[in-house]
Amino acid sequence: MSDQPERILELKSVTMQFGGVKALDAVDFHVNRGEICALIGPNGAGKTTIFNVITGVYTPTSGEIIFKDTSIVKLKRNVITSKGIARTFQNVRLFGEMTALENVMTATDVHKKSGLVGSLFGTPRSRREESAGRARAHELLQFMGIDHRSDQLGKNLPYGDQRRLEIARALGTEPEVLLLDEPAAGFNPAEKVALAETIQKIRDAGYTILLIEHDMSLIMTISDRVSVLDFGKKIADGTPGQVQNDPKVIEAYLGVPADAS
Amino acid sequence: MVMINLRDKGAETWGKWGRPQRVTFAVIVIAIVGLLPYGADFSLTSFLNTPVSSYQAVLVYPVGMFVLMALGLNIVVGKSGLLDLGYVAFFAIGGYTAGLLGIYTKLNTWEILPIGMAAAMVAGVALGLPTLRLRGDYLAIVTLGFGEIVRIVALNSQSLGASTGIAGIPTPPKTFGLTFDIEHSNSYFWVVLIMILLVIWMVRRLTVRRAGRAWEAIRQDEDVAILMGVPILKYKIWSFCIGAAIGGAAGVIFASKTQYVAPNEFTFNVSVLILSCVVFGGMGNIWGVVMGGVLLAYLPERIRFISNARQLVFGLTLVIIMNLRPDGLLPRKKREKLGAKAMPEKEANDV
Repeated sequence: MSDQPERILELKSVTMQFGGVKALDAVDFHVNRGEICALIGPNGAGKTTIFNVITGVYTPTSGEIIFKDTSIVKLKRNVITSKGIARTFQNVRLFGEMTALENVMTATDVHKKSGLVGSLFGTPRSRREESAGRARAHELLQFMGIDHRSDQLGKNLPYGDQRRLEIARALGTEPEVLLLDEPAAGFNPAEKVALAETIQKIRDAGYTILLIEHDMSLIMTISDRVSVLDFGKKIADGTPGQVQNDPKVIEAYLGVPADAS
Repeated sequence: MVMINLRDKGAETWGKWGRPQRVTFAVIVIAIVGLLPYGADFSLTSFLNTPVSSYQAVLVYPVGMFVLMALGLNIVVGKSGLLDLGYVAFFAIGGYTAGLLGIYTKLNTWEILPIGMAAAMVAGVALGLPTLRLRGDYLAIVTLGFGEIVRIVALNSQSLGASTGIAGIPTPPKTFGLTFDIEHSNSYFWVVLIMILLVIWMVRRLTVRRAGRAWEAIRQDEDVAILMGVPILKYKIWSFCIGAAIGGAAGVIFASKTQYVAPNEFTFNVSVLILSCVVFGGMGNIWGVVMGGVLLAYLPERIRFISNARQLVFGLTLVIIMNLRPDGLLPRKKREKLGAKAMPEKEANDV
């Protein structure tokens, strides 16, 4: 990494309040271009809430979210996606009644210019975009190693392939930042190793990755930087090695020693 | 049941065919359907004849009209998953547009047709913009209200003829050597048939392209669809508009056929019946919806001879068939190539 890495995505003192509960409390947080950044913390720390405020599912109570030097706080969800932020979901949410290929093509449609009238009359542009989208979708399925499943319905795919398809679908929107919400959940150790390789491969293909994960060994191997959340506050930020030895992090995960307070 | 695999068998055979075979098949089917009005004249097919109403008239209304409107509503309910209980409103708007323009202007039916469709589309946008943010049951209630509002406005407007409606709407002019009047129902049937074919062409076309994927995504998971960049409000409104335009077109033809429109033609019952055609036939599958429309429109006319028991038999038929085939006659097509690409060696790792 260079001395002054570009902050592609930055949260400035973002607070998200649900009634009396502060899910996020003045969180400052950023992702540098081209890195794998991990977001960790105990259950209920606010990790998924961060994903939700970034992608526009929630509008933060206060604070700014800057993506490539512009604020995206007030933008609609689909506009945020088209600007270059895509995500997967903690519990797989595919379009189950669509084939794997159609799942990805729905995402590749984001940047198409031809609309409904174009598809109706089969204008040259619509045909061109359609075949380009199909080719791109196959490419992404191949990249994730599931192109042989392209004609199968999303709901009929084995669990692991469903998770891979979700990543392929997110990549279909041609994002610059890819948000992965617990991609290794439910994976066995061998699959986790394969997933780690895939995530690094995605990063090497030029994407920036923000990752929520509970599997520490996975995080420690692949991430360039780790941010730790606890009770809606960021308590640590740094390289995996720094964070691992941070007393506040140990406290958050293991609790306060009995004689400390 | 006998027809349990009709959908898959049909899709399989169709998939194997080349272009010439498909065209030949389509032409033959269209020709047979086009000749249906003569079906009652031959002893072999005379069982088709309806006992009380004229068979040819029944083919236009309700059969043709129901199929047309069911196909329109299928785009809204079946394809995009928006429950619309006030579809009759668009039918009424088309009908009243034809009535007003037919009486007060010199425009003929073919010129009124696009205007009626446009009026229905405008109504669709006006209803859709504020309400399509609602989901499921809430949208259903709002559309139900809209359907009733349109009928009650017509009922209370002197300029729309209040409860007596508008009478003396001109029939379409002689076109391509076809006369359109009460004696010549066949001409209307062919017009409706052409409209049905156009709608089928349009839906088939849109389904495999961007709009179809967007609708399918919205139907399955609206929240994920928008996060994957689908402009959901835009596509919901398109879906509403196209459905409305088809309903409006049906209304214009209906008005010029019966030559009068009145509020009691456009009750909530019609919305429910059209929705039943869609559900009964198989939501989202155009062939299922066509079958549903034909059966639900034709059956009550065919069994008219049993007079009072008619509704009972009709209702029982619906209950029995929906029990046997809960997803409709021909459910949504599963586009998966079954068993075509099995990969046994990989399967073991994935469990």
